[in-house]
Amino acid sequence: MFGIEKPMPNPTEDTEKYWEATRKGELLIMACGDCGHRYMPPMPICPVCWSESVKWTKASGRGKVYSFIVVHRPQHPAFFPDAPYNVAMIDLEEGPRIHSRIVTEPGQMIDPTLIKVDMPVEVVFEKIDSETTLPMFRPTT
Amino acid sequence: MTFKNSCAIAGIGLSKFGQRPGTSAMGFLLQACKRAVEDSGIDRNLVDGCLIAMPAVMGEQHGWATRVAAHLGITARLASTMDMGGATPIGAIQTAALYINAGMAKAVLVGFGMQNNPQGVPIAMMGSQFAFPYGDIGAITFMAHVARRQMHELGVTSRQYGHIAAAFREHASRNPEAQKRELFSVDDHQKSKWVVEPLRLFDCCLVTDGGGAVLVTSLEVARDLKNKPVVLSGAGQEHGAEMIFPGKPRQRPPGAYAADAAFEMAGVTRKDVDVAYIYDGFTPLVMHSLEAFGFCKRGEAGAFVESGALGLHGELPTNTHGGLLSEGHMYGVGHVAEAVRQIRGTAGERQIKDAEVVFVNGYGGAPHEAPPTCSFATLILTKDQGSLSRGTTS
Ligand SMILES: [Zn+2]
Repeated sequence: MFGIEKPMPNPTEDTEKYWEATRKGELLIMACGDCGHRYMPPMPICPVCWSESVKWTKASGRGKVYSFIVVHRPQHPAFFPDAPYNVAMIDLEEGPRIHSRIVTEPGQMIDPTLIKVDMPVEVVFEKIDSETTLPMFRPTT
Repeated sequence: MTFKNSCAIAGIGLSKFGQRPGTSAMGFLLQACKRAVEDSGIDRNLVDGCLIAMPAVMGEQHGWATRVAAHLGITARLASTMDMGGATPIGAIQTAALYINAGMAKAVLVGFGMQNNPQGVPIAMMGSQFAFPYGDIGAITFMAHVARRQMHELGVTSRQYGHIAAAFREHASRNPEAQKRELFSVDDHQKSKWVVEPLRLFDCCLVTDGGGAVLVTSLEVARDLKNKPVVLSGAGQEHGAEMIFPGKPRQRPPGAYAADAAFEMAGVTRKDVDVAYIYDGFTPLVMHSLEAFGFCKRGEAGAFVESGALGLHGELPTNTHGGLLSEGHMYGVGHVAEAVRQIRGTAGERQIKDAEVVFVNGYGGAPHEAPPTCSFATLILTKDQGSLSRGTTS
C-alpha cells in the first residue's frame, strides 16, 4: 500500500529555492512585487492581484500558533513510530499561514499540553537528511 | 427552461455496502445503477446518461463513466467522470438536470463506487510537500484543525460533538442497512480513543466499501413512472479553500453561498425544512454546516445540538438514516436516498411526518493539498405538488 519511508519534499521549479534555503537555516515566503502581498504555498502568480512579478523573500521566522492537533493514529504507516505527534499551523508575522510542528529544540518534541492557540513561536531548523531540512517552531516568551 | 422544479429523482439504488474487500468499485457501481433503474421502473433502454464520481482512492481512472455505461449496455448520449470529492453526487445531480433541460439527455444515472482496498490498483496519493513531511495527512487532520478553531473561536466542546454522533447513531439503530447500529451515549463518545486530537474515534465517519446511484429525469417523465417524483426545487454550489486557509477576506463562512442559492431558487426558508441531510464526514463539519447554512446563528450550533435538535423529534431532524458517521460512508448518496424515502413516505420507523421539503448537502475536497480545498453542493428536494405547478417551470 504505502512505502515505509516518510513522504519528504520532492522539490519542483516552484519550490526548490524554499528547500535550498531551509538547508542554510533560512525561511522564505513569496512576495508580490506589485501589491506587496506575502503568501504561501508558492505559485507563479500573486493570488491577490495576479501579478507575475513575484519572488522569494526572507521571513522573520516569528509567528503565532493558529491551530494545533495531536495525531494519535497516523494515516501513513511511516509516522506510526512518531505518534503521538503534533502538527501546528503557524501564522507568520508577514501574513502567510504554514504547516509545521512545535518543538522545544530541533528533534525534541514538546509536551502537547503546553501548546496553546495564539502562542508566540519562532522558527528552528531540523535536519532530516542531506536533502531535507524542515522548519519547526518553538515557543518564545 | 429554468432549473427549479424541472427535474426529479425517479429512482434510488444502494449496492451492498460495509467492509467488503472482495467487490470492486465497478462492481458496486453496476449493482447500484441497476437497483436505481429498477427502483424507478423506467425501461432500461431509455437511460441515456452516466455521471459518475471519480474513484479517488484508486487515483486517476480515465473514462470511468464511459466504462460504467459500457458495462451496463447503455447507449449513452452523455458520460462524464466528475470530481468534487464527496460533493460529487449532489453536484452531478445538478449537472444531470442541466443536460436534461438542454435536451441532451432524458434519463441520467448519477453514481459512485468505492473500494478502499487496493485490489491490485496502485493508489495515487498526491500530497503537498508543505504539509505531508509533518505527518499532516488526510481529511481527518484537516478536520481536526477545523475543530480546534471551533473550540477556540466559538467555545465548542468535545461533548457537543458527542451529541451529534450519538444522535446519528440513534437513527442508525433504526436502519437495518446501517453498518453500525449499537447505541452509544455522549459519555461513551468521551471515552472513545483519540484519533487526531481534538477528534475522537466517534467523531469520524466509517470506512465503507460500496456504491450508490440515483436516476434523474425530467419531472414530466418521472410523473409517468411508478414512484412519486422527488422534485429538484433548489440547487447551489460553492468551491474554495478558506476553511482554515487565509483566502479572500469574507463576511460569511464557507458553504453559506451554496445554501443561500438553493433556498433562494426553491423559494423556501430554513424554517420550511422538514428534514435535513448534512454531509457528516466528521462531527465538526456538521457543526460548521449548521451555522454556515443558516440553520443556526454563528456560535449557536453547539447549544443547538445539545438541545436534541437533530433527533427524529427535534427541531431539525437530521441524517435520519445515520449518516456517514453510522450508516456508512456512502459519499452523500446515502443522504439523497434517505431524503427520497422521506418524501415518498417510505422511511419506516424513521419517517418524519408530512416531510415535503428536504435539504441535502454534499461536501468534499482535497485535504491532501495545502491549502486544503473544499466543495459544497446543495439541493432542496420537495414533494411534487401536482400538475397545477407545471406552468411555473417554463
Ligand atoms: Zn500582488
